[in-house]
Amino acid sequence: MKKENRTFGKIIMALMIIFFYLPILYMIVFSFNEGKSLTHFTGFSLRWYEHMLQSHDMMEALYTTFGVAIVATAISTVVGTISAIGLSKSKKIVRDLMEQIDNLPLMNPEIVTAIGFMLLFITFKVEKGIVTMLLAHIAFCIPYVILSVMPKIKSLDRNLADAAMDLGATPWQALTKVIVPEIMPGIISGALIAFTMSIDDFVISYFVTGGGVKNISIVVYTMSKRVNPSINAISTLVVLIITIALLVINLVPVLAAKREEKTNGHTGKRLIPVMLVMAALVCAGLFYGVRGGKNSAPYAGESLYIYLPGEYIDENVVKAFEEETGASVVMENFDSNEQMYIKVANGESYDLLIPSDYMIQRLMEEGYLQKLDQEKLTCFDSMNEFIQDWSYDPGNAYSVPYFWGTVGIVYDKTKVAAEDLEKDGYGIFLNEKYKHDVYLYDSERDSFMMALKNLGYSMNTASEEELNAAYEWLVQCVQTMETEIVTDEIIDNMAQGRKALGLVYSGDATYIMAENENMGFYLPKEGTNLWADAMVIPKNANNVELAYEFMNFISEYDAAYANSSYVGYTSPNEAAMDDLYDGEFEGIGAYIPRTDNENDEIFEYNESTRKIISNLWSKVKIAASNAK
Amino acid sequence: MKKFSQLAVPYIAWAVMMLVLPIALIAFYSIIEPGNSIVSISFTLDHYVRFFTDPDFLIILWRSMVIAIKTTIICLLLGYPVAYFISRCTEKWQNILVLVITLPTWINALVRTYAWIGLLSEGGIFQQILSFLGLGNTEFLYTEGAVLLGMVYNFVPFMILQINTSLCKMDHSLLEASADLGANQVQTFWKVIFPLSLPGVINGITLVFLPAVSSFFIPKLLGGGQYFLIGNLIENQFITVGEWNFGSAISMIMAMIMMLLMMLVRNVERRNHGGKEEA
Repeated sequence: MKKENRTFGKIIMALMIIFFYLPILYMIVFSFNEGKSLTHFTGFSLRWYEHMLQSHDMMEALYTTFGVAIVATAISTVVGTISAIGLSKSKKIVRDLMEQIDNLPLMNPEIVTAIGFMLLFITFKVEKGIVTMLLAHIAFCIPYVILSVMPKIKSLDRNLADAAMDLGATPWQALTKVIVPEIMPGIISGALIAFTMSIDDFVISYFVTGGGVKNISIVVYTMSKRVNPSINAISTLVVLIITIALLVINLVPVLAAKREEKTNGHTGKRLIPVMLVMAALVCAGLFYGVRGGKNSAPYAGESLYIYLPGEYIDENVVKAFEEETGASVVMENFDSNEQMYIKVANGESYDLLIPSDYMIQRLMEEGYLQKLDQEKLTCFDSMNEFIQDWSYDPGNAYSVPYFWGTVGIVYDKTKVAAEDLEKDGYGIFLNEKYKHDVYLYDSERDSFMMALKNLGYSMNTASEEELNAAYEWLVQCVQTMETEIVTDEIIDNMAQGRKALGLVYSGDATYIMAENENMGFYLPKEGTNLWADAMVIPKNANNVELAYEFMNFISEYDAAYANSSYVGYTSPNEAAMDDLYDGEFEGIGAYIPRTDNENDEIFEYNESTRKIISNLWSKVKIAASNAK
Repeated sequence: MKKFSQLAVPYIAWAVMMLVLPIALIAFYSIIEPGNSIVSISFTLDHYVRFFTDPDFLIILWRSMVIAIKTTIICLLLGYPVAYFISRCTEKWQNILVLVITLPTWINALVRTYAWIGLLSEGGIFQQILSFLGLGNTEFLYTEGAVLLGMVYNFVPFMILQINTSLCKMDHSLLEASADLGANQVQTFWKVIFPLSLPGVINGITLVFLPAVSSFFIPKLLGGGQYFLIGNLIENQFITVGEWNFGSAISMIMAMIMMLLMMLVRNVERRNHGGKEEA
């Protein structure tokens, strides 16, 4: 009977190990995949590692993660140890109270701690960035250090320090020569916990960061919507680094113990901190070494902070700009215009933003933008006339168009009948023939546009009655059609033909159609949203000159062509657009936006309508979530 | 000796600033009207009322609780046998197995969760196996099952390690005594081993339940854009909607619920523990 028990145990154990390591192995294997797929291995290649090494974002994130972890660990270990020693000699009431306080970050849900830090920094107007991230990490690491040092101190003979001082040691000597060596194991395990917590942290970093500072977790989180095997590559690198570090940490004591057995000396115990310090130094050296070496171009040493949507720029174009000007470009991504607005309205400083039309109007009206000095702009000469001087920014006094397009229906030609599209228009999203085969895009504006247009209203309506009708339309859609509401994962999923219908931006449709020839793009006659995303300079920008340089650079033919070809969105540079349509994107109708339908509209900003739509859209999403 | 107590003074100041003040700020923001400048603050309980009067929010709270409870139960059912198996190995194997269990937790949680996307997505290994077995084209990614899986995957090591610690502390002569007194293995397990491992089980439950309720990136990565848990609701308020006061109120509600549950669990533990010592 006992034997049987063991086999059962072994099986469960083995299954558990498979469960733990399968995803990690899978990820490592696919980081070497030649193709882009996460499900089919097509051959061995290192291209995703190359991609990773070239990606400014990812390399910065790697440095940030390890840099913050090393500094936070060092500071919190020293401070935590000293405080623990101090606390152990304090009055009991102080000690008990501090224990409760230290428990706050351990016992509270992480997101609550994170929001607390965020509100703290915002209330006291501390600029969010690497400093705030470091402060927050130190703050949540110290309690772990204290927690692991405290028991060691308690088990220490209370008279030890006194004895040392009686024998003539100064308090400092008593501390460093007597107490610290005795509690070393506690300090080391505290430092290790602090380091892991810092490396592992996502939630707190996510809420307290700013100014384009990202750690690996944040990069993975913001990139996870698109299929991007370089995430696998960077993850594999992290796994490798941590595994090696862990093995060293676990092997050193064993080896040291063995040596101690042989020599019967104390070298072993000393070895651990020495090793840790050395490892830290090596990492720190790498950290600073790799970032050195700047040239002496006109803007050498300066930085340009750009806040733009994710996957919205060709990194090679950015690199070319960096080479030409000598400046370094720091990019931060947002998921939605609304997310961007919150940060900008809270006073975070960027040199350049790339929001959409209606949001530009809002930022303008609320006084967040600088009026552009037209003298400095050379980019309007080569720009398509059609997209200049739109209603959101008359005369382009504040903004330079970056990409433009429409919103339409991407459909699988093998599954969707063309006559259904002709007949229903957007109403096809209510046609139960396509139940379970529909994606909605998580954008309140465009979802309401679809519903309003289908109901025959203007998408800029302020009538609550019409908005409510649109809300009912959307609720009916999510409840009867088993829709999925997605963000950018719609692009790769439609490209792989996973659903028959999706509401998609024309630029993404271009990419989808280029990847999968079965996909078509349909613009209903009911009209659509004609949109533009444009570059604007906020009032609190630090490097306005460089922002102008960038606007001109990206609008010139070469950069505009490369950028549009990479992202798939339509370039405002007319020659670049025409050449792409004659070449790479030939026959892909989605690339050239429709300009001749009188039902097409441009969004106008209206605060009270925005609030209504925003609330109703949250309710639609919750209804969708609760319909499952 | 006394001089050393001064060493704690800077940290006490720091802790008040960095640990107490943030929580106080959340509480403060949760009871003021939105858009208040410092000059004119007016207090209100509207945010709390709004949460508790809207069935949609209550459903989300309920769902978060339910999925956290499911996660905890699965972690317990999976974790206990594994912990038990480890505790019965030789010391050398114990160390190795504990390391094997701990290693993945050192690797970034987000990275590990992301790793599941490839496995679960359409055309991925899981679906291929199932369709090979003739079980049809079940969808995994962006379902509640995927979220549950992600949570179990992330949190089960905590359960195993906690239970294992308390099983290893157990005095093995108790088992022999139990056998000598005529108990069979099943009886020994339920009457001796399990009660003695309860502190570990309870610690494990808190360590799994707490992060499971408030998790927001696991549902977002594996549950898709329309799978809302209370953590996503909070994130949404702060990052995209910008209603911080309402978001603060939801955070407070969640923190309160967690605190009450913790106190409840600690009480159970203490009563249990106290009983043991008397016996």
